[in-house]
Amino acid sequence: MKNNYGNKEVAFSALAGVLYALFGLVHIIEGLGIDTGLSGMLFIPGDILGGFCLVVIGAVFLIGFKEMLQGLNAGVSFVYVGILMSLIFMAVYLLIMGGNLLDSFIVPDDYEGWSVMETFRPGIYLGLLSLAGILYWRDRFSLNEVLVFREGA
Amino acid sequence: MLGIPTKLKRTKGNNMNEKTLDLIEPELSVKVLKVTGQKSSRKRILDMGLTPGTRVDVIRRAPLGDPVEFKLKGYNLSLRKREAETVLVEVVE
Amino acid sequence: MTDKITVALTGNPNVGKTSIFNAITGSKQHVGNWPGVTVERKIGKRVHNDIEMEIVDLPGTYSLTAYSLDEIIARDFIIEEKPDIVVQVIDATNLERNMYLTTQLMELGVKLIIALNMTDLALAKGDSIDSEKMQEFLEVPVISTIGSKGNGIEGLLDAVADELHKTRVTENIFTYDSDIETRGEELEKVLNNDPYFAHYPSRWFSMKLLEGDENILKKAKESESYPEIEKILNELDADSFEAKIADQRYKTIQTMLRQVCDINTEHLSGSDMVDRVVTNKALGIPIFLSLMWAAFEITFTFATPFMNIIDIFFGWFAETATNLITIPWLSSLVGEGMIAGVGSVLIFLPNILLLFFMLSLMEDSGYMARAAFIMDKIMSKIGLHGKSFIPLVMGFGCNVPAIMATRTIEDTRDRLITILITPFMSCGARLPVYVLLAGAFFGRDAGVVIFSLYALGILVAIVSAKLMRSTILRGEDAPFIMELPSYKIPTLKGSFIHMWERGKIYLKKAGSIILIGVVGVWLLASIPAPGSGGVFASEEVYGTTNSVIGVIGQIIEPLVAPLGFDWRIAVALLFGVVAKEIVVGSMGVLYGAGENEDTLSDILAAGAMTPLAGLGLMVFTLLYAPCFACIGVIKRETGSWKWTLFQLAYGTTLAWTFAFAVYQIGSRIGMLA
Repeated sequence: MKNNYGNKEVAFSALAGVLYALFGLVHIIEGLGIDTGLSGMLFIPGDILGGFCLVVIGAVFLIGFKEMLQGLNAGVSFVYVGILMSLIFMAVYLLIMGGNLLDSFIVPDDYEGWSVMETFRPGIYLGLLSLAGILYWRDRFSLNEVLVFREGA
Repeated sequence: MLGIPTKLKRTKGNNMNEKTLDLIEPELSVKVLKVTGQKSSRKRILDMGLTPGTRVDVIRRAPLGDPVEFKLKGYNLSLRKREAETVLVEVVE
Repeated sequence: MTDKITVALTGNPNVGKTSIFNAITGSKQHVGNWPGVTVERKIGKRVHNDIEMEIVDLPGTYSLTAYSLDEIIARDFIIEEKPDIVVQVIDATNLERNMYLTTQLMELGVKLIIALNMTDLALAKGDSIDSEKMQEFLEVPVISTIGSKGNGIEGLLDAVADELHKTRVTENIFTYDSDIETRGEELEKVLNNDPYFAHYPSRWFSMKLLEGDENILKKAKESESYPEIEKILNELDADSFEAKIADQRYKTIQTMLRQVCDINTEHLSGSDMVDRVVTNKALGIPIFLSLMWAAFEITFTFATPFMNIIDIFFGWFAETATNLITIPWLSSLVGEGMIAGVGSVLIFLPNILLLFFMLSLMEDSGYMARAAFIMDKIMSKIGLHGKSFIPLVMGFGCNVPAIMATRTIEDTRDRLITILITPFMSCGARLPVYVLLAGAFFGRDAGVVIFSLYALGILVAIVSAKLMRSTILRGEDAPFIMELPSYKIPTLKGSFIHMWERGKIYLKKAGSIILIGVVGVWLLASIPAPGSGGVFASEEVYGTTNSVIGVIGQIIEPLVAPLGFDWRIAVALLFGVVAKEIVVGSMGVLYGAGENEDTLSDILAAGAMTPLAGLGLMVFTLLYAPCFACIGVIKRETGSWKWTLFQLAYGTTLAWTFAFAVYQIGSRIGMLA
């Protein structure tokens, strides 16, 4: 049977999976009060729940990776759902960032010494990867209003 | 729990393939033989297309094992095991 | 001359009925409730070819055998109100099950038009449907539409206008086996002889009797000819007729569909692929929880700046008004009573709009059904539906939008229970109370105490749900028979309309109750106690022992004394019904700490209150009557003062009992003394 995915999908899922899982873990470890030294450099402050979400996205990619290695065609659906989820989270983080920025103008007293970069998160910059992914595979996300991932495309 | 519908006898005399729908493993296909159970849920199950002779594909169980998802007549339907138990089916190869 | 007609829009759930309704009526919609129930009634107007059409959007229904309240309403409207035209919206990607309703509408003999919706999706799926042939076969107009893009709407309205002047004689397209037909004719004869049934299409009525429709049977029982009907029904095997009728309707549909369309079945659809991931055994629940977190963050964190704008604006507005009005009591009434009251209504609007925007995205995309599918096992353990999970989680942010979110639960009883237990989910406004008290009394263990309060709330909710299920709201669990519709990309327009409707309903219906509550409490705090000689709304009176509320506090002090509370706590709790976070501010004033929370914390820790009473107060704050905004939406969503008052009484009784237990048991065993 011909596979409906190529090396690009496999490589993408491995890369995105590892990055999301790793950064999510750092979020969680920091959230437990252990200093990894990465929080300043990579904008990963302690955030257990947010970290959990990144780990989940990572897991979606990694399970897709595993299934594709096994030659399962349906494995590719994990890659596409992973891409959609990471874009949703990118949007959420961007909105929160914007909201905080707006709030800092409204109640400046609460935001003394605050910079908008404090709300910059890996969920945002990792999302760029998925943005590239959806642009590259955009014909797979059908323009008809149903998420038909065309098979064997 | 309240109101558990009368369970079907699981051992059927004449046909070994007869089972209730909740016992069918995912990825198998079955043919509906009969819908039993209480009136209101039975009528709804019939209305949703689980009429005798209809082919039903068992798709998957929910992550916690219940409810179960089925595909029939080109659409996806989920039933709790309690409801699926009232549908008598026969496995098709 | 302009004709005025009524057009009913019906169809299965998830067929894009709302998008057709929106496309026809645009913004000219009115959302209200059906008389006597809390099911939504949407009516819109549209003038087309000089005909004034009133479009009624009926609740989605799979069949004309009515099970749920939604379906009874839809059916009764068509039968009793006799709309001039009935438009059935059909999902072109799911013809067979959709047309089951068509067969029944045709039996009913109504003037039917079919809107074959989502034809673009059917095409994308690889189906081809010959709508002209379908029209020939059914002898009713079949119009292809794409509701989300507004395609085919003009054609649909043209068809409505054309059909208006035609006489229809096509009720007998669907024939059943001879044994059913024979029985049907016998029944029809009886029905036709009894003027009681003149109102109903006799063929449809007789088929419903044969199917054993309980609602119809009840209607028949009220007639004089019921003995004759009963005789016929007793002669036949009801169960087999029921299955046979459903079966033959489906067979007829299959026969027709084979002739008019070619459906591509050999194909794993996009929806199937998404479902493999989001309902995956290992990933399903984590993915759902992640998405809930995202929705929660948007609803509550992203809303913060907007809430601050409202807060600051009303603060400024109240201050300006207070300064402008020179009569002291009037300026206080306007500033602290009315403007603050309106502010306390509007402050929730950002939460409500954002939450409903996201719920609408989840519902329209099809994910909501999956969420219910995933969480149902857990919720069924307390006798609820999977759909109850989302409102309960949202309750941790704010109970007000959470209670409004129970709209997605179809079963009335499940919905009512969910509404009644949502206030036990500890909302964000209760947190400041915990932070203050736990901080003052428990220092390093404050975190554990606060966590335990959240856990207690969940526990009380679970036990209450089970209790209500087995006592006052007893009965069968509603059968869980739920369609998992295929995924669709939601339209922004649809989500915005939905969000705006919710916002309007909140402001109109809940707003007045909140406002009355807030102004009422202000009055109680401002009116000087008889004989105190104070001046109305003066600072010496407001909220002190010289005010009515202070007197009430002193009167009820004996009631709360066993909990270790004094009159000041009683007054703070009364104020807390305006908004829970006010408990802290009121205590500050009453204990002479002013607005400064640190001072209050020191005063409390220095012995103004025992730690046990503090713990009791936290428990009491968690469980007692929710805030006015919450009371307002409970009234709006249950449509009943009885249930609203029940919630208040139940919660407050629980609060008293728990706080009593904490204080009394704690003091006996010498804990925290």
